[in-house]
Amino acid sequence: MEALYLFILVILLLLVGVPIAVSLGLSSILFLLVYSDSSLASVAQTLFSAFEGHYTLLAIPFFILASSFMSTGGVAKRIIRFSIACVGHFHGGLAIAGVFACMMFAALSGSSPATVVAIGSIVIAAMRKVGYSKDFAAGVICNAGTLGILIPPSIVMVVYAAATDVSVGRMFLAGVIPGLLAGTMLMVSIYFYARYKGMPKGVWAGWAEVFSAARGASWGLFLVVIILGGIYGGYFTPTEAAAVAAVYAFIVSMFIYRDMGPLKTAEGQTPLSLRKHPQALLTAWFHPDTRETLYDAGRLSITLLFIIANALILKHVLTDEQIPQTIANAMLAAGLGPVMFLVMVNVILLIGGQFMEPSGLIVIVAPLVFPIAIELGIDPIHLGIIMVVNMEIGMITPPVGLNLFVTSGVAGMSVMRVVKAATPWLGILFVFLIMVTYIPWLSTFLPTYFMGPEIITR
Amino acid sequence: MTTQPLLKISLGDRIERNFIALMLGLMTMITFSNVVIRKLQEKDFWRSDWFEPWAEPLSTFGLQSLETTVFLFAWMGIVGTAYMIRINSQLGVDVALNYLSPSWRKAAALFAVGACLLYTLLLLKGSWDYWAPFANLPPTDGRIIPEGFKTRYLNQGYYEVNDIVMPAWAQFLGDWFNDGDQYEKIPRFIPYFALPLGIGMFLWRYLRVARDIVQNRANMIIASHDSEDLVDEAAAKADKD
Repeated sequence: MEALYLFILVILLLLVGVPIAVSLGLSSILFLLVYSDSSLASVAQTLFSAFEGHYTLLAIPFFILASSFMSTGGVAKRIIRFSIACVGHFHGGLAIAGVFACMMFAALSGSSPATVVAIGSIVIAAMRKVGYSKDFAAGVICNAGTLGILIPPSIVMVVYAAATDVSVGRMFLAGVIPGLLAGTMLMVSIYFYARYKGMPKGVWAGWAEVFSAARGASWGLFLVVIILGGIYGGYFTPTEAAAVAAVYAFIVSMFIYRDMGPLKTAEGQTPLSLRKHPQALLTAWFHPDTRETLYDAGRLSITLLFIIANALILKHVLTDEQIPQTIANAMLAAGLGPVMFLVMVNVILLIGGQFMEPSGLIVIVAPLVFPIAIELGIDPIHLGIIMVVNMEIGMITPPVGLNLFVTSGVAGMSVMRVVKAATPWLGILFVFLIMVTYIPWLSTFLPTYFMGPEIITR
Repeated sequence: MTTQPLLKISLGDRIERNFIALMLGLMTMITFSNVVIRKLQEKDFWRSDWFEPWAEPLSTFGLQSLETTVFLFAWMGIVGTAYMIRINSQLGVDVALNYLSPSWRKAAALFAVGACLLYTLLLLKGSWDYWAPFANLPPTDGRIIPEGFKTRYLNQGYYEVNDIVMPAWAQFLGDWFNDGDQYEKIPRFIPYFALPLGIGMFLWRYLRVARDIVQNRANMIIASHDSEDLVDEAAAKADKD
């Protein structure tokens, strides 16, 4: 029962406004001091080895960096143009295009709020202009943005993989079908809703526009090929893929799109040519835009990683005290089946996801439920995808839904209004969660097909 | 909701921001270069004569790159967090706080900063005890509260890291910490110094936050969500469009 005190302490500290990282770390340290004979030095060592010993986690700052270069570098604009050219002529076309653009951006970035900002800040304004209501626009984008963590690459998946020692490559592959499915479900529902409401549709601009838009966006979208192709072609590890992606994104935004850095010019003018300004090859590395992007990506990564590092201290405590095994045995003794277990996991994560930041929550919950899942014969990859989808829902439910805050900022609406606007579409994600939970095939087919069946080591 | 104290970008801020940017930039470039080197090693010309002067140093670089990246990562993560405390960028839950009256809020904030200080002090002792022997310094006595320095402890100054080769110009450290013996790899106390340094900076930063709260210049130690900057950026962008 000592474990219960630990969790109560974490929650109490969180509620009085202690930062998440410190709540997790302090509770674990106090628990260790009272119930075990570990020294403070060993806690410090655990904190350091959270960075030193988890090479997988290195992928997080690199993916964040790649996505920062992509968001400031105007890739979003080109992706949106491409998706409008593709699906803009349907009823509710701009909304569908918004979802489509979110799906594509999700394949470049590993985070949901980043996806909402990149796509939402352009699409929501555009939708308002052609006569959609603000609430509809915000609701759609807020939901579609959550795909950022489901469609690979995904920061939350990297965290899950690091916490449970499953392969990042498998997790990424597992997210593909569910991600496409969720996006399609959103788009189809928007289409029918739009028919029913008689919403505006755009004009079909012809194949020429599709191809020309595709050419514009292709430099950005090629990043997907680098990341996924590189990992599955065996060229590099996911962490290396993330670093390569970051360097590629830097080159594209600096020298090809030229929306930032030394070759950038004022809005609406042609950017400078590299041939006439070859010194840019050197100055770009130290340009204020580069430094600013590096700092921004660093800031986001540090905030996230410090939470993860402290969650790892907590995980350390849990495994040292054999708490997951105790819970697992109690549950199995009570005759818990896989179906009820997954329902419980969903409930725990949905509630937890409303208060906690996804990565930290995953690090804590994953080691608790993982041994039980293995015992019950649930595929670890399937469990991971269930967790990610739960986190998606957590991001758009109050009180702590990152996507809600970001959307409220992007759309200029109160958070409460965004909550109301997002709720109808939340239903779709719930249906999707049930599908993902009870149709393991959705998540396990691709990884098994490409990488062979999962070998479970206990 | 949150009232952030107005932040003037001082010289110190610029140093810390550039430190974070530099760490991330180096990590990225080193990892990227390592991929390139590994790919080149599979090519034929790697073994040819004209490439020989390059092959050796590049291979050495490749061998050290993983460990270097990981240590830079730790430095960015630990020392960088001290800056996150300064700019109030730590994530937390502010739901309950928003229902409190201002005076209760101040009490909660004081309690929260107290918890942070307790965390920092415990970790600071832990970091010192862990790091000090690597630098031939005495760890503290006592399990929770430091009770003076230990008089008997093992000097671990001879501990080295696994891969990073000691540069010749830094060999004087051997005289200082290793009884005059040369280090083959860099000694451990260098990368691990991130712990006492970073946590020491936490202490300084949390004390300043505590002062701000007492003087009513701040009422929270958390950013309610990490989107503030994203939102500001997006809003600025939307205004432009």
